[in-house]
Amino acid sequence: MGITLTPALVRQLIDDEERGLRQRQCSPGAVDEIFRFGAVAGAVIERFDRLDRGMAHARQLINDCEEGGRSFASGTVILAGELTSGQGRFQRYWHAPMGGVWMTVAFANTLLPESTRLYPLAAGLACCEAVRHYGVDARIKWVNDIHVQGRKIAGILTETVFGPRHGEEYVLVGIGINANNHRFPPELAESAVSLCTLLGREVEIELLAARLLAKLAWSIGSLHYEERERLAADDGSGAGHDSLLVRQWQALSDTVGRRVLFGYDVQKNPQYEAQVTGITPDGGLLLRHLADNASGVEYSGEILYLD
Amino acid sequence: MEQDIDFEEILTGYRSDPYSYVDVHSIHTGRIRFKVRENDAVEGVSGQWHHVPGTLLYILERERNAKSVHSSTNGIVSSVRTDLEGHFVEAGEKIMVIRHPLKKREIIDSILRKVLFQFKAPERAKYFFSMELQARIEKYGQRGVSIRPGDEILTMSLMKRDIPVYYAGEPGIIHSVYFQPGVTAELNEPLIGICAEEKLPYIQKIITRVKAEWE
Repeated sequence: MGITLTPALVRQLIDDEERGLRQRQCSPGAVDEIFRFGAVAGAVIERFDRLDRGMAHARQLINDCEEGGRSFASGTVILAGELTSGQGRFQRYWHAPMGGVWMTVAFANTLLPESTRLYPLAAGLACCEAVRHYGVDARIKWVNDIHVQGRKIAGILTETVFGPRHGEEYVLVGIGINANNHRFPPELAESAVSLCTLLGREVEIELLAARLLAKLAWSIGSLHYEERERLAADDGSGAGHDSLLVRQWQALSDTVGRRVLFGYDVQKNPQYEAQVTGITPDGGLLLRHLADNASGVEYSGEILYLD
Repeated sequence: MEQDIDFEEILTGYRSDPYSYVDVHSIHTGRIRFKVRENDAVEGVSGQWHHVPGTLLYILERERNAKSVHSSTNGIVSSVRTDLEGHFVEAGEKIMVIRHPLKKREIIDSILRKVLFQFKAPERAKYFFSMELQARIEKYGQRGVSIRPGDEILTMSLMKRDIPVYYAGEPGIIHSVYFQPGVTAELNEPLIGICAEEKLPYIQKIITRVKAEWE
C-alpha cells in the first residue's frame, strides 16, 4: 500500500518542505500569510480509480452543491487513477492511463480580474516546481506547458464556470503529469515523456500529487497576497507592479528569446512567426514579428518553439 | 423604432461632416509627453493580425514605468492639450482629438450602432462563438439564430483560460459580428449587434438607403 493523498499530507509537506524554501524568497510573515491564503488547495479530496473527465466531474459537483443549497468547498480536488475521455484544449485527446497524476482542482474565485488572469501562470509554476522537485530540469513554455528538453511532461487546462443557481464564479484547474505512465501512443511517442523514464524509477503518485498541491497552495496564495498588497499600496491599477509570481514563473520558463510559431490553435491554424522578447508584468507574451519587425503583446493563444 | 430616429437628419449630418471625432483619454495617471502635434496625420492599427501598432501618440510615465500609447485609428490630430506637456495627468483625462474620415461601410456601421443593441467585450481578450451557438450559426445562418438573456454565446480566451460569456441584453437575432476569431478585441469594443426579428426590414432599408445615397 503506497502513500495516500490526504489534506494532512499536503499540510505536512507545506511545513516540512515549502516554508523553509519560501523563506529564502519572502519574509516569514509573508510566507505564513501566503500559505494561509492558499490553504484551501486540497482541503477536500475526492479520489476515483477511473473517471471520464475530471473537469466534467468538477462541474457536476458544483452543480449538485448549488442545486442542493450547499456551499461548494473551494480548493476541492478530484484525483483520478485514469481518465477514459481526457481532453486538452480544443477537444484535443489527452492520453491519461494508469500511472499518471490526473487532477482537477476547483476554486471559488474571489480575485479581481487582473489577478484572476494569472491563474494559468500560477498553475504552471506549481506544476513545474513539483516536477523539478525530483531533480528533472523541467521548464515552462508560455502559458503553462511543462516540458523537459522539448518533450511534454505535464499539461494544464484552465476553465471558468459559473454556478447554476447563484452565478458564483469558479476556476477549474486540470493538471496532468506523466509520472509512471511511460508508454505513449505512436503520435505522442516523440513529443511526450514521463518522470519515470527520466528518473529510471517509479515515483509515489499520491506523494507527487500532494507536492503539487503544496506548490499550488503557494502560487494561488501568492495571487491573493499580492492582490491585497497592491490594493493597500496604491489605487489598485497595478501600474509598475512587480509580481513575485510572474518573476518566479519567468525564472523557470525558457520562452523568452525563442523563435516561435504563434496561433490561437497553433496546431490547426498557425498564424505567424515571431521572436519572444519578454513577458509583461501581467503575463502577456511580448513578440517581435519576423515578417515585419512589428512588436506586440499576446494574451491569448499558444506557441511552438522553432529553435 | 423608425420614428425614434431622424434618419434624414443623420444622413445630412454625415454629408456635411463625413468624419468621426475620436477622443483620446489618458489610460492611467502619470506624467505625459506628447509625440504628435495638431494637424499631424496619424495611422491606426494595421497588419494581418492587427499586430502593427498605430502612430505613437504619447508616452505616460508612472513610477518609472513608461507606457507608449498608439493611435487606434487613422486621421488628423485636430486638437492636443499641449498645456499638459510634461505634467501629471489624471486617469481618463481627455488629451487629444483625432478626426477620422469615414468610409461608406463605417457610416452604415455607425448608423446601425444607433439601432442595434451592442454586446461589448467584457475584457481585452480573444472571443469565439460558443460551440453550441457556432453549430446553430452553421446550420441556420447568422441571421437565422436568435439569442436571449442568459444564453451562453461566446467563449472568452485569456491566458489560456476559457471563460463562458453569457448574453445580457435585448432578445433578438445576431445581425452584425464585429470581432474576428483569433484577433484580440479591446475592452468595451462591440462584439455583436443584436436586433429584434421584426426590426430586420427596417435595418435592411437603412443599409440600402445609405448605399444608394452615399456616393
